[in-house]
Amino acid sequence: MSRRPGAGYYTATAAKPGGGMPLIDKNDMCPVCKMMRYLNPDMEFLINPECYHSMCTGCVNRLFNDGPNQCPYAGCHKTLRRKGFKSAFFGDLAVEREVDLRRRVNSVFNQVEDDFETLRDYNNYLQMVEDLTFDLVNGTETKRREAEAQLLQWEMDHKPDIERNRKAGREAEEQTRRRLQAEQELARQRRIAAIQEQEEEKLALVRNREAVLDSMATGGQRVQLKKRGGVKAADITTAAAASAGSSLLPGSLDVGKLSIRGLKEKKKTAAPEGPYDPFGGYDFVPSRYKVHSGLGHPLLERFEHDRAHVTGGYSLEEFTARAMFEAFAGLGVFIEDEKEVGIGLSAGEVTGMAAGIAATGHVMDPR
Amino acid sequence: MEFNIEDLPVLFPYPRIYPEQYAYMVDLKKTLDAGGNCVLEMPSGTGKTVTLLALIVAYQQHYPSHRKLIYCSRTMSEIEKALVELKELMKFRAERLGYEEEFRGLGLTSRKNLCLHPSVKREKSGSVVDARCRSLTAGFVKEKKEKGENVDVCIYHDNLDNLEPHNLIPNGIWTLDGLLKYGEQHKQCPYFTARRMMQFCNVIIYSYHYLLDPKIAERVSKDLSKDCIVVFDEAHNIDNVCIESLSTDITEDSLRKATRGAQNLETKINEMRESDQQKLQDEYEKLVEGLRGADDGRQEDSFMANPTLPDDLLKEAVPGNIRRAEHFVGFLRRFIEYLKTRMKVRQVISETPPSFLAHLKEYTFIEKKPLRFCAERLTSLVRTLELTNIEDYQPLQEVATFATLVATYEKGFLLILEPYESDTAEVPNPVLHFTCLDAAIAIKPVFDRFSSVIITSGTISPLEMYPKMLDFTTVVQESYSMTLARKSFQPMIVTRGSDQAAISTGFQVRNEPSVVRNYGNLLTEFSRITPDGMVVFFPSYLYMESIISMWQGMGILDEVWKYKLILVETPDAQETSLALETYRTACANGRGAVLLCVARGKVSEGIDFDHQYGRTVLCIGVPFQYTESRILKARLEFLRETYRIRENDFLSFDAMRHAAQCLGRVLRGKDDYGLMILADRRFQKKRGQLPKWINQAMAEKDTNLSTDMAVSLARKFLTDIMQDVETTVVEGVSTWSIEDLRQHQAKMADETIKALTAAREKQLEDEAMAEGRRAEGAESDYEMDEDDEAELMALDG
Ligand code: SF4
Ligand SMILES: [Zn+2]
Ligand SMILES: [Zn+2]
Repeated sequence: MSRRPGAGYYTATAAKPGGGMPLIDKNDMCPVCKMMRYLNPDMEFLINPECYHSMCTGCVNRLFNDGPNQCPYAGCHKTLRRKGFKSAFFGDLAVEREVDLRRRVNSVFNQVEDDFETLRDYNNYLQMVEDLTFDLVNGTETKRREAEAQLLQWEMDHKPDIERNRKAGREAEEQTRRRLQAEQELARQRRIAAIQEQEEEKLALVRNREAVLDSMATGGQRVQLKKRGGVKAADITTAAAASAGSSLLPGSLDVGKLSIRGLKEKKKTAAPEGPYDPFGGYDFVPSRYKVHSGLGHPLLERFEHDRAHVTGGYSLEEFTARAMFEAFAGLGVFIEDEKEVGIGLSAGEVTGMAAGIAATGHVMDPR
Repeated sequence: MEFNIEDLPVLFPYPRIYPEQYAYMVDLKKTLDAGGNCVLEMPSGTGKTVTLLALIVAYQQHYPSHRKLIYCSRTMSEIEKALVELKELMKFRAERLGYEEEFRGLGLTSRKNLCLHPSVKREKSGSVVDARCRSLTAGFVKEKKEKGENVDVCIYHDNLDNLEPHNLIPNGIWTLDGLLKYGEQHKQCPYFTARRMMQFCNVIIYSYHYLLDPKIAERVSKDLSKDCIVVFDEAHNIDNVCIESLSTDITEDSLRKATRGAQNLETKINEMRESDQQKLQDEYEKLVEGLRGADDGRQEDSFMANPTLPDDLLKEAVPGNIRRAEHFVGFLRRFIEYLKTRMKVRQVISETPPSFLAHLKEYTFIEKKPLRFCAERLTSLVRTLELTNIEDYQPLQEVATFATLVATYEKGFLLILEPYESDTAEVPNPVLHFTCLDAAIAIKPVFDRFSSVIITSGTISPLEMYPKMLDFTTVVQESYSMTLARKSFQPMIVTRGSDQAAISTGFQVRNEPSVVRNYGNLLTEFSRITPDGMVVFFPSYLYMESIISMWQGMGILDEVWKYKLILVETPDAQETSLALETYRTACANGRGAVLLCVARGKVSEGIDFDHQYGRTVLCIGVPFQYTESRILKARLEFLRETYRIRENDFLSFDAMRHAAQCLGRVLRGKDDYGLMILADRRFQKKRGQLPKWINQAMAEKDTNLSTDMAVSLARKFLTDIMQDVETTVVEGVSTWSIEDLRQHQAKMADETIKALTAAREKQLEDEAMAEGRRAEGAESDYEMDEDDEAELMALDG
C-alpha cells in the first residue's frame, strides 16, 4: 500500500494538478475534462477509494467503461476499475477516506464494553484502537504498515470473538431499527387519532348546528306555528305529528333527534319545496267569516279617493279586513284548555297567542 | 406599617396596603411554610415586587433557617428596580427596628454591564467582553504572571485576591449602580465581586439565564443551597426561555467556522507538543484516571460548561477514544463534516435524536458515548491549550454542545433541517434546528434542587397551564383580582364594525377590504377620542405591513394623522427606539401619538406605557403564533403526546397570554387609567383565558360591541374618569390602612373560628347520630361500617 500522506487528499489541492487553472470550487468543475457545472447542472462527481481522486461521471464512463485504466490525475499511477467508483458521502475527501478505513477497523475491533472487566480496560482498548486508526489514517509509511500488520494479527487472533460480536452488533442494530420504526408507527397512529378526534369534534359541532337549522327549516318551524295556532290544545301534538307525517317526507320525523340522517334527507326534500314562504305556509284566509268586497262606511268614502292616502298604498279593504279581524279577535280561544295541557306557556303568552290567532282569524285545522 | 401574618411579623414600607397585596403575602407564606411551589398572578401596577420582598425578607429574618432568596427577573432595568425596592425596604426596616440588620443583597448581570476595565468595557458585544475578560483573568494567566512572564491582566480582578474572600464588599443592599461605584472606588471588579459573594448573600437578584440556561447555571448557581427560595418574576414566558436555552441552530456558516476552529485547535496542539509536551500529557493522565470535578469545579470561569447532564455521567471517565487531544480533534472534524453533508439535502427533514444517532453511527462510526462527552472534553482541551482568543471557538463550542445534547436526550428534542428560508425561496440557506420541545427539561434541575419555586407575573393565566407544561406541582395557584375604588380601566371586545360586519384577523378574511376598513375606522375613532398616547398591537409584522399599506390607500392614515402622530415598530432595534422616543415626546407635549407595533415584538414585552404614554391599547386580531412553523408544529405534537395539552388549547393559551401582556402595558398603577380594546370576533369566546383582573372588569355586554358602541362606551368611561374622586372613597376599599387591615384580619379570624366551630359541632352531631344508631342496633354490620367511616372522616377534618 503506497498512499500519499493524508494532506494530499484534501480536495482543495486536488484541483491543482489539473493545470494552471485558478482554484474553482470543487463542485463546479471536473478537474479531468474541465467541464463546468454551469454547462451541465446535473454534473456528479465520483471517487475511487484506491486514490480518492474525484472526477465527473462522464469521465468515469469514458475512461473506465472498457475495463481497468490508469487514474487520469498527473502523478497518480493507480489502476482503477469502473466498479470501484462511488460518490463521496463527505465533502472533505480526507474524511471520506478516514471513514472508509474506520469501516475496516471497526469490523475487526468490535469489542463492546461488556467484554471487559472494568470500564478502564474498555477505555484503554478504545484508545488502542483509536491509536491504530490514527496511524492508518495519518501515520507515516512505516507506522501505517505496522498498524496494518497489527490489524491483521488481531483479526487472526480473535476470529471467533469478532464473529460473535459482529452478529450481536447486527442484532442490536436490527433491534434499534425495529424499535425506532415501531415508535414512529406509534407516533403516526397517535397523530392520526388526534386528527380524527379533532375532526369528529368539528363534525359533531357542524352536525349539531345543521340539525338545529334543519329542524327549523323543515318541521320545526311549522310545528311551532301550528302549536300557536292550535285551538284545541289536545290536538296540538297530534296535529304536529300528523302534519309532519302527511305533508313531509318521513325523514323529518327525526327532526327532534338532531341526527345527521335528517340532514341528508332534508337536502333531498329541499328542492321540491318551491318558492320561499316567509310565513312558513301560514294561511291568512279567515275561516270564521268572510270579507266581502264593497263594504264601506260613509265616513270613509272621502278617503277612498283622497290622493294623499291612496298613494301611500292605503286601501279601504284593509280597513274593513282589520275591523273584522278585531271584531272576531279572541273567539275560539279557550284559555282553560290551554292551561290544562300545560305546554309550558305562561298565561301571558297564551293570551298573546290567542290574539294572534284571532288576528288572522284562522283556526288551525288538524287535517 | 407593621402587622403580623400568623406568627410572622411583617414590616411593609408603606403606610397603606392593597388588599390583594395582603392576600398575596398570605399565600406566599403558605407556600414557604409548606416548602412547595406556587403560581401567582397579581395585576400589574399593584406593587408586586415590594410585596414579595417584604414578605420574604420578613420570613428570612424571623425564622432561624435564614433561607436565601434568589430573585430572577428578565431585564437589567427590572433587576435594578427590584434592587432599589429592596434597598428602600431595608432602610425602612432599619428605621423601625432601630438597628441595621446583618444583611447583604446583590444583583448580578453580565460582564458587559459591570466591567470596569478601561478597554474591555468599551467592547460592544457581550460575548466579546466575556471572552476578553476571560483571557485576562484565566487561571493560567495568573500562573504565568507569578512566574514573572509578561502577560496582560486585569488589575480590578487581581485586587480581589487581596481581600478576605467572604467579605469582598460590606453588608447592605448594592444596586448595580452602587456596585459599579464601589468597584471604581476600591478598584475591584464589580462582576467578580458579585459572583464570588453570591454564597454570602441573603438576597440575589439576577436574570433568568443564571438559573435556567444550563450552560451558565452550572457555573454561576451551583453553590446555592437547597432551601433557597427561588422567585421567577414576569414569568409568563418562562417556558419559552427554557426552550430557547436548550435549542441551537446550526448553519453552513457556523459549520465553516467550526471547521476553522478545529483546524486551529490542531495547530495549537502541534505547537504545544513541540513546546510543552508535559501539559498535554498531564491532561491525558487526568482523563485516564477519571479525575475530574475536583479542580474543574473551582474554575469559576471555564470556557463553557456542560449542558444539563445526568449525575452518573458526570462522574464517569472520558471514553478512551477521545482522551488524546489529536484523537478528539479528528473526532470533532468527522462530526462537523457529517453535519455538512446532512445540510446538503434539499428537502425538509425532521428526525428524532435516536434516528439521527443511528444514521451518524452508520456513516461516521461515531458512537453515542464519546459524543456525550464532547462539550466537556472540549472545555478541558481549551483549558489545557491555554487559549486566550476564546471567541474564535464559539461556533465549535456550539457544535460540541449540540453533540452532547443530542446524545444525552432521546426524548423532548427534535432535529429539523430546513434547506430553504421560506417556501418560495430559490437559493438554499439550510439551517439545522436542534430544538428543545420540552420546557420541563431546562427547569427540572431548578425544581429538583430548590424546595420553593415561586412563579409569578401580572399576566399568567390560565394558571394551570404552567404546572402542566413545566411538570411540577404547586401548593398554591392563585389569581388575584384588583380592588379598585373606581373603575380605572375599561376592557372591551369589539366584534363588529359600525356596519355590523364581523371583524377578525382570521386567515380567510384578514385581507378583505371591508375588514381592513372596519379596523381602520376603529383606529380613527379611537385616535379621535383618546387623550395623548395610544398603542396598537398587530399579530405579526407581515400583517401590520400589509394592513398599513391598505390603510394608506384608503386614506385612513391621513385621517388618523389629524389627531395623532403615527409611529411604527420595526424589527430593527435602533429604529424602534427612535420611534419610541418620538412617541414619548409627542405624548408628553400634547400632540398625541399612535404607536403601531407587534404583539410579539420588543415593545409588547418590555416597555411600559404608563399614564399619558398609553391611554388606549388596541389589540387588532388574536395574536396567534405562525402555525406553519415546523418547530411550533413539532412542539404542539409533543405537548399533546406528553402532557395531553391539545394543539388548539395551547395556541389559544399562547395567543391570549400575549394579548394580556399587551393589554397590561397601559395600566401600570392604581392611579393610572386606560382603555383596553380587543378587536376580533374570536376574542369573545376566549375571554375566559384572560387574567382574572381584566376579565372581572369587563361586563358581559362589553364583550360583543360594534365600533360605534365601543366608542360611546369609551366616551362614557373617559368622562367618568375625569371626575375627581375624594380620597375617602378610596380608603378602605382599594387600600387599607393598618386599622382596615386589622379589621380584615379579625374578620378572617372570626370566620375561621366560625368554620372550625361549625365543623366541630357537625362532628359532634354526627357522632351523636352514629351513637344513636348503634344503640338502636337495627342496621346491618355493613351500614355500621359506613358510619364508622363517616366518623373517621369527620375526625380527620
Ligand atoms: S475582571 Fe472585571 S473589570 Fe476586569 S475585564 Fe473582567 S469584567 Fe472587566
Ligand atoms: Zn470530467
Ligand atoms: Zn488517482
